[in-house]
Amino acid sequence: MNERNERIHGVACTFRQVSDVFHAAEQVRDAGWKNWDVHTPFPIHGMDQAMGLPRSPIPRLTLLGGITGFISGCLLTWYMNSYDYPLIVGGKPYWSVIFPFPVIYECTILFAAFGTFFGQFIFNRLPHHHHPLFDLPQFSRVSDDTFMIVLEARDPQFHLDESRNFLLSLGGQEITVIRD
Amino acid sequence: MPHALTDHWKKFLVAGVVALAVVWCFAFNGVSHGDYRQGLSVLVGAMFWISILIGMLMLTMITRVFDAGWAPLIRRNWEHMLIALPILIIIGIAPLAFIPASRHLLWEWTNAAHVLPSGHMVGADPILQAKSWFLNENFFLARIALYTVIFGVLAVLLRRWSFAQDTDRTARHTHRLHAVSAVGIPLSAITLTMLAFDFLMALSYHWFSTMYGVWFFALSIRLALAATVILTYKLSNGGWLDGLLNQAHRHVLGCLMLAFTVFWAYISFSQYFLIYTANIPEETFWYNIREIDAVTGLKSEWWGVSMYMIFGFFFLPFLSLLPYRTKIVPGRLLTVAWIIVAGALADLWFNALPRQITQAGLTKFPEGFSVAPFLTSSLFLDLLAIIGFGAVVIAIFLWGASKNETIPVHDPRILESINYHE
Repeated sequence: MNERNERIHGVACTFRQVSDVFHAAEQVRDAGWKNWDVHTPFPIHGMDQAMGLPRSPIPRLTLLGGITGFISGCLLTWYMNSYDYPLIVGGKPYWSVIFPFPVIYECTILFAAFGTFFGQFIFNRLPHHHHPLFDLPQFSRVSDDTFMIVLEARDPQFHLDESRNFLLSLGGQEITVIRD
Repeated sequence: MPHALTDHWKKFLVAGVVALAVVWCFAFNGVSHGDYRQGLSVLVGAMFWISILIGMLMLTMITRVFDAGWAPLIRRNWEHMLIALPILIIIGIAPLAFIPASRHLLWEWTNAAHVLPSGHMVGADPILQAKSWFLNENFFLARIALYTVIFGVLAVLLRRWSFAQDTDRTARHTHRLHAVSAVGIPLSAITLTMLAFDFLMALSYHWFSTMYGVWFFALSIRLALAATVILTYKLSNGGWLDGLLNQAHRHVLGCLMLAFTVFWAYISFSQYFLIYTANIPEETFWYNIREIDAVTGLKSEWWGVSMYMIFGFFFLPFLSLLPYRTKIVPGRLLTVAWIIVAGALADLWFNALPRQITQAGLTKFPEGFSVAPFLTSSLFLDLLAIIGFGAVVIAIFLWGASKNETIPVHDPRILESINYHE
């Protein structure tokens, strides 16, 4: 990586056909790229596999949130009804898993939702007010009739000239260097 | 050209008829000796499959109304099976209800001379008298006929227009089926609720639960989805879904199984929870006889069944279905489906079998009754009844598949269904 590359976000390349961008994505995946992305105006079925994307890690945070919620719900009801101010309601025990179960599972759902919602923010790196791609005039057409593959400079394989040639060999139409 | 598998329908029919003949012999023999238990085997066996078929009927109509893109490939198999629903009510439940001797033994409220734990007779029971506008024998039998007709008409219409589309290739049938399903869903919801009230809840007629119909619906959909997973697994390994059923179909079935596992737990727990919290004797006795041995006052076998339902029918399938890979790996999804089938059988047993047994000699017991035990040799008769009714249902399914297309070739969404993607 030379000094000039540090100010470069990456190289963008446009495609006109779904099949072109699909096969190009497969080749970028097979070349072992890690920091790159495909931008399309609509979802393309099978693109996850073509890009070699792993499953989202968010469900793990959901599960973690759910377990946290379950334990907090148990502790909350036990602390209030059985420890801090023991109270008999309707002849039920001070604490059992049955009578406060609505509280416990609502806590489970609430915390699982927190895990999902905030996890989504973390993994999508939100809030993110600006992105270098927004400066690219061609990028607005990605929400209309153009597909785009972006190879990012932070990938260890990135080298400006080689990456540009690589994209050309994939059948890319218009190659642009994106500056930070 | 029908698929080679469909040739087996006669074998299944013979096996089913033989098994059911044995079960019915035991049931009639029991009834003639005043024993209700073998009759309950017929009821449990028939309800097991009626539950699966009601679930498939609801899923057929729901996927029609929502125009589900994944569904046509799988829905055709439900359509082949649906016509078994009215037939099972006729060959399974109707004889039990229409023969006075078995009706009086199984549904105690129909027998005015039956003695209650309190020592009073059913005929003089003010609780029954207050409910007699609904619980009277003529209306009971009329309702059974009505269930058969409603489910029969829905099954015939849903099948006829779907099959008609195979030959005349018009989208008109899809619109008609939309309309039938939109009317059929609320109609079936009421019918299946009343059916669950009559066939299961009324076995213990003092007790009442307004959630019972929803519980039965949740159980039916769980069973239907599990049966669908097992069936499509077989059909995609040497059947007509070979090479057609993909990972996304399994994923959607797995997600639905997870959703209805949670829904079933929510409903079953809520029913228990409200009765536990309110603590009213005419409601709590139903759960008490399912937990405590009335003679010794200790936990009974039924407590073990309840624990199995909490851990084996909720936590095990729930936790297994959470990971993505369980829903897409065929063998794992199949295992969970069998776990759900086993749990649903336990749930049916839990609802149908326990009852207060009163006899002249039993008055020395503190509560005036004993509770029917869980572990008896009749459980094998229950299993034989399930196998017998199941063989009949599969025979009807294969026969239907031999007469009509096994894939809805001209459904407007068939390509979307075959190429379904997560």
